[in-house]
Amino acid sequence: MITVEGLFKNFGPVRAVDGMTFTARAGSVTGFLGPNGAGKTTTLRMLLGLVRPTEGKALINGRTFAELEHPAKEVGAALEATGFHPGRSARDHLRVSCMAAGLPMERVDAVLELTGLADAADRRVGGYSLGMRQRLTLATAVLGEPPVLILDEPANGLDPAGIHWLRAMLRHLADIGCTILVSSHVLSEVEQIADHVVIVTRGKVVRDAPLAELVGDKNELRVGVEPPAEGADQEQPGRLAAALENAGGTVRQENDRLYVTGLDAAAVGRAALETQTVLTELTEERSGLEKIFLELTMAELSAPPPSPPPPNGPQIASAETAAANPEAKAAGAETGTAGAETGDSAGSGDEPGSAR
Amino acid sequence: MIRLVRAELLKIRSTRMWIGMLVLSAGFALLGLVFLIALAGTEFDGESGIPPVTEPDTVRAFYANASSGVLFMMILGIIGITGEYRHQTITQAFLATPRRGRVLGAKLVSYFLFGLVFGLATVLITVAVAWPALAIKGGSTSLLDHDVPTILGGTVLAMGLYALVGLGLGALIRNQIAAIIVAVAWVQLVEAILTFAVPDVGKWLPAGAVRAITHTTGGFGGPGDLPTLPAWGGVLVLLAYGLAFAAIATATTIRRDIT
Repeated sequence: MITVEGLFKNFGPVRAVDGMTFTARAGSVTGFLGPNGAGKTTTLRMLLGLVRPTEGKALINGRTFAELEHPAKEVGAALEATGFHPGRSARDHLRVSCMAAGLPMERVDAVLELTGLADAADRRVGGYSLGMRQRLTLATAVLGEPPVLILDEPANGLDPAGIHWLRAMLRHLADIGCTILVSSHVLSEVEQIADHVVIVTRGKVVRDAPLAELVGDKNELRVGVEPPAEGADQEQPGRLAAALENAGGTVRQENDRLYVTGLDAAAVGRAALETQTVLTELTEERSGLEKIFLELTMAELSAPPPSPPPPNGPQIASAETAAANPEAKAAGAETGTAGAETGDSAGSGDEPGSAR
Repeated sequence: MIRLVRAELLKIRSTRMWIGMLVLSAGFALLGLVFLIALAGTEFDGESGIPPVTEPDTVRAFYANASSGVLFMMILGIIGITGEYRHQTITQAFLATPRRGRVLGAKLVSYFLFGLVFGLATVLITVAVAWPALAIKGGSTSLLDHDVPTILGGTVLAMGLYALVGLGLGALIRNQIAAIIVAVAWVQLVEAILTFAVPDVGKWLPAGAVRAITHTTGGFGGPGDLPTLPAWGGVLVLLAYGLAFAAIATATTIRRDIT
């Protein structure tokens, strides 16, 4: 269990973390999301005792990192892919960490095997690819078999096989009761790994909710409709849209396509049948988390985004932003609602057979 | 604490930086020694540059030359701490041992030990060259007379203590290149000028302490007239510098944010 409570950090005149409060529970993967410069890394570094908080608490199982008896056996951390001496081999790097932490040397071979680095272990790290460094970072993190993992952008540089392996490992560790906090700005990755999501902007938590709650009602379906032939009923797409709205969905029309939120694919199919419409496309946009993320973070940032999110018309974005704001204010109070759903919804993206 | 020292020693051994430093420090000492051997007793325009090997001062100078590589021990210490910042390995060190004072303590012990071993190696190489040279040229071949034991022992100690000074300097400056430039400029320029211009200040500087320990009075070991502390005074001064810089290293590192 990781507890961050009223955390502040000033670097000179710059306030990097501005009253951060959230928890990451045991047995689940908590995604820590935010744009660059939102204070994610600083918060993680305060949790790990590397940066001194200006104010507030950053605790691991109720204690600060410095108070832990055997830090390496209690918390594993993967901070960035650059913390290696280029002239030292991976094996020696792990041996140094093992020795300093008082862990048995057998762990070195075990984690090299686990991360697929065994063959490259005696090469100097200077010649490693980004992905291999990332694997070594993760190997170092799990050296002490800790029940709490704090990972900063762990998928950075990993190839698809590596990402798959990482996802399976994190799922497995969470299922056996570990506390896992993963920071990322890659939304699709968080959507696949996390059970719970904490979104931060400008050093503050703007949303703290189970992933299912965040993406569930915001998932968008893209529906393509066959253009009406000449002389046929020109009103057909309009009738489908009306039927979808009747069924409880929100519909937006753009470039001959309908974008539907609040309905699942079966409901769209039923509406199409009802109105005798030929569908040419029915795709899940899977942009639920992305939409929320952009709404929340853009409401905070005064500057316009570098490229507008494709499915969002400007009017809609501003309307939703206005709606999202009060939610954000109440984020702290919402924590924990719909917690019961968390377990099964998050496992859906994962092949159960791959967890070891 | 012992396991931390072992981890630090493994850190030093597992890269090849120490080999370079050993080659430089031993090579530097040898170069000076060859120069001394060649010039001892020769005359320029009827004036003797360096007294012949029959003079005790020349014997001292031969052996004391071993300490000329102390700068490289300082650089070893500087790299030992600034390298951790440069390669961001300091993060991992403090994750494994959140009590930073203990990491620093282990580092100080390890680099002191490494400095002593380097000192020993340099002294052995020096003796291996100087002793036959003295024998051939008809100088004293006793390793017990002319303060030789103090000179050699003092050199070993000075090497260890200079490594501590380097650690302290590196912890203070953190930027590797800047710290090395400061060290070289200090040893080669500032200290030399101060010693020459204000000898009474010079004898309290690290170089002055090394002179005291190694019983040399400056220049080519000739009987210069630089004021020097007694040998035990030199040991104390150098020890004080080592501990002061160790304290600086610890104090500056314990509270600093590692970003």
